[in-house]
Amino acid sequence: MKRDIFQAIADPTRRAIIALIALQAMTPNAIAEHFDTSRQAVSKHLRILTECELVTQEYRGREIYYLLEIEKMKEIDKWLEQYRKIWETRYEQLDMLLAELKQKEKQERKK
Amino acid sequence: MKPAEASLPSDTEVLVKRSFDAPAKLVWRAYMEADLMRRWCGSHPGWSMPVCEMDMRVGGQYRWRWRSDENGQEFGFTGEVVEVVPHARLVHTQIFDAGDLGVSMGGEPSIITVTFQEADGMTDVATLIKYASKADRDEAFATGMTDGMEMNYKRLDGVLAEM
Repeated sequence: MKRDIFQAIADPTRRAIIALIALQAMTPNAIAEHFDTSRQAVSKHLRILTECELVTQEYRGREIYYLLEIEKMKEIDKWLEQYRKIWETRYEQLDMLLAELKQKEKQERKK
Repeated sequence: MKPAEASLPSDTEVLVKRSFDAPAKLVWRAYMEADLMRRWCGSHPGWSMPVCEMDMRVGGQYRWRWRSDENGQEFGFTGEVVEVVPHARLVHTQIFDAGDLGVSMGGEPSIITVTFQEADGMTDVATLIKYASKADRDEAFATGMTDGMEMNYKRLDGVLAEM
């Protein structure tokens, strides 16, 4: 089954894991301590994140650490940014329109 | 105003949030009246909005169409009004009409839920777009729809922080 970044961030626990390891690389045990779910559940999320290539594993001594692939995260940023920009352009027009409507209301009240 | 925020609440949804410096009843009008809608949705640089028809009663239809100044190509959206709670909530379906841009974007309508919440004369507007499938949502991104609009891409601040 093909995985992608959108699937990676579709789940709230996975989003929380991303936020955690964005700060520093962590072992699965350290990550699991932050959640009420079972260690197995956390492992499953880590596996999906790895398959989505959003996290990578690194051996440090005997421990496995999970690292966030920042470059991969930027793909999501880019997607959202395009989307956001379209809306923001419209909304800036709406700001102007609303200012005008407010002004009109004020004037009508004065009459 | 703080710029719009976009997030992905689930596999099939996109959520856009923005605050406006006006009471909900005025913002509401801008969403319900065609001549006002045209003023803020019909002014993307390089595009005109030749069609903006709206019958915003439950069961009513709307039709929006944009035309490129550069080459006359058109695309648009149509849909049906599902729910109307004045000054608070508007739900409608939306189908992308690719016109002659030559892109397809799924046949199934997406569902748009717009909520308006007023506090201290400001109104928070949240727009939730639920695509019929994950594929539709990803396709909405993948098509060149945004390219024609000459958007500048800038890094979205705080996406990581928000997640």
